[in-house]
Amino acid sequence: MKARAIKGIVVKDLKEISREKVALFWVFVFPLMWVTLFGSIWGGGGEPITIDLGVVYSDEDTEFTAQDVVEIMENISIENAPIFNTKRFDNETAGVKSIKKGTINALVVFPNDFGKSVVTGKQAKIYLYFDKSDPQEYQIVSGVVKGFFAEFEKEMKKKRMEIQLQYAGLYISEDVMKMYNISLEDIKSYMVAGSEPLVIEEKEVEGTKVSPIKFYITSFIGIQFLFATMLIIGVGILEEIEKGTLKRVVASPATSWDFLIGKIASTFIIVMFSILVGLTYSRIVFGETLVPSLAGWLIILIASVFSMSLGIIIAMATRSIRSTTALVNLLSMPLLFLAGVVIPEAILPSWAKPIVNYFPLGRALKDLRLLELYHKPFVEIVGGVIYILAVTVVMLLASVVLYNRVVKTLE
Amino acid sequence: MLALEVKNLRKSYGDFQALKGVDLEVEDGEIFAILGPNGAGKTTLLRILAEGLGYDEGEVNVFGEPLSKKSARHIGYVPQESISYDLLTVKENLGFYADLYDAPREEVDNLISKFDLPPSSKAKELSGGLKRRLNLAISLLYDPKVLILDEPSTGLDVPSRKQLWEDIIKFRESGKTILIATHYMEEAELLSDRLTIMDSGRIIRTGKIEALKSLLGDRTVIHVSGILRGVDNLRKMFPRLIERRDSIRVHSDVDNTLSIVVEHLISSGSRIREIRVEEPTLEDVFLELTGKKLN
Repeated sequence: MKARAIKGIVVKDLKEISREKVALFWVFVFPLMWVTLFGSIWGGGGEPITIDLGVVYSDEDTEFTAQDVVEIMENISIENAPIFNTKRFDNETAGVKSIKKGTINALVVFPNDFGKSVVTGKQAKIYLYFDKSDPQEYQIVSGVVKGFFAEFEKEMKKKRMEIQLQYAGLYISEDVMKMYNISLEDIKSYMVAGSEPLVIEEKEVEGTKVSPIKFYITSFIGIQFLFATMLIIGVGILEEIEKGTLKRVVASPATSWDFLIGKIASTFIIVMFSILVGLTYSRIVFGETLVPSLAGWLIILIASVFSMSLGIIIAMATRSIRSTTALVNLLSMPLLFLAGVVIPEAILPSWAKPIVNYFPLGRALKDLRLLELYHKPFVEIVGGVIYILAVTVVMLLASVVLYNRVVKTLE
Repeated sequence: MLALEVKNLRKSYGDFQALKGVDLEVEDGEIFAILGPNGAGKTTLLRILAEGLGYDEGEVNVFGEPLSKKSARHIGYVPQESISYDLLTVKENLGFYADLYDAPREEVDNLISKFDLPPSSKAKELSGGLKRRLNLAISLLYDPKVLILDEPSTGLDVPSRKQLWEDIIKFRESGKTILIATHYMEEAELLSDRLTIMDSGRIIRTGKIEALKSLLGDRTVIHVSGILRGVDNLRKMFPRLIERRDSIRVHSDVDNTLSIVVEHLISSGSRIREIRVEEPTLEDVFLELTGKKLN
């Protein structure tokens, strides 16, 4: 192995690529576009949703009215974000029309005697309208609206129970209590339990939910391996063949290994630089980024060598820049989605999950995420890393064999 | 001592036989030319010698050693096409090849100065002549004993061509062995000590220029130019007639050739502008040996 020849190839490649505008686009602009796109769409994930709610009610002069309910709705929020954005309609027909148009998510209709019924202790009715054409949206909207009224109803029951308990001692005779050997406190406690059999206490727990930005940074790394890495090395070698410079390299004292190690090293430096730019960009623009551990960098290194080997194999098999570009895109586009690069494995169809686990780039990303995002110990993913390493070694050897075969046929 | 020795070299591309048993000996310190038309097999032969192109059969020795990566270090090769990287500067290109061949770094500056190359210009900005000089400089980085040039003056303007020829003569004076493949007889005639005529993958004849010309004996060549008619009929009488755009060359095989040619042309309605009786050139030798025109 000739270190000076390898260094020469690395320096030459780095200079060439830094002066090649198209290459700069693929190495830097293209991945940053992805980071920006993903970050903008999913970066702010976790914010509470606000439901546009239509309300129909009449003005009443009782102590408690439908308008009081609407005011309560308007004032409840989660993390300073209002849950309901209410809009009053004159009548039910106008409100329903608005749901159909999609300007509101749901409609609440309070009948004319709603306030009177509540105040006089009678049963009050509420009519809810939902658009069920989108089952997911219906699930969310109906859940939130019904959830609000369930809580509201519970509070009403509690108030009514408190009133009843104030007068319990007056209408339950002491003889009855003696007959059943029960105290007034026991009776009150049974009455409370009757109105509210379950007491649910909510406690907040700090979850281990993965930040969407960090997830999509690993996607960006995967995109670099699926496109830029394969294309830089594959097209780079083919350009040397087309320009006739590879013949000179072959005729020189440098060996095939010297040339390929030089190419792999220069491609690795370019891709690593591009990844670092992406990580920094994410930190500056979205306020968070991923800082891989040593084991994480090891996975990135193995995955990049796999990607480069695949790029060399494709280039040597096609012997054409245009075909290599087409084949890399043809292969990488579906893998972008099916190998879990941009779509989490959990929501992939079951037939696609083996691709994540057995296609080495998909597996590398999965292991990188387990290590860096879910903080699994390295020992838990070591099997996967060994698998990726083994496939990578085989691919690298295959790429060298194919390269040597092509070099022998250079005419 | 023989700088290069080629014995019974054969090379095929599929069914096409590019070299059909080539034998060649190039003496140390001489300028040796391979003259032949396009497709004669010259480039294939040079690429076997200089670029390690595989061959089917035969033997190649460089200064007595079988051709290998080690012995090939004695050979510097200047191919027809540019071997520089367009986006790198002249100095960076030379630096890269110096690293590749493990050549002394100071040679980069020496060669830039020697060939008067613009060090900071990118290769893509260079003229054809400068690109060829950069090719030459690259091939000289590791001071090879043998310099092989493939069609060195193709595509060059007249001043660049003359400059290149001067450079080649200087290399010989500095003790290098030069092997040139060309289809320009003027180039071969001007530069070479010995030459070989190659056609269809075979060596037709090798020798000094005068010796090759002597193959034609005392024959002279009649050159006639003007608006010429009846050339096809004339060719029936003189099969080795060479026709150009507005002139013909006829080998004077018999004493009255001149009068036959002139009479035939005038009677066919030609308007003759010039008639010259010349000594034979390498082109005439090539025609005599192969029955074909050189270009």
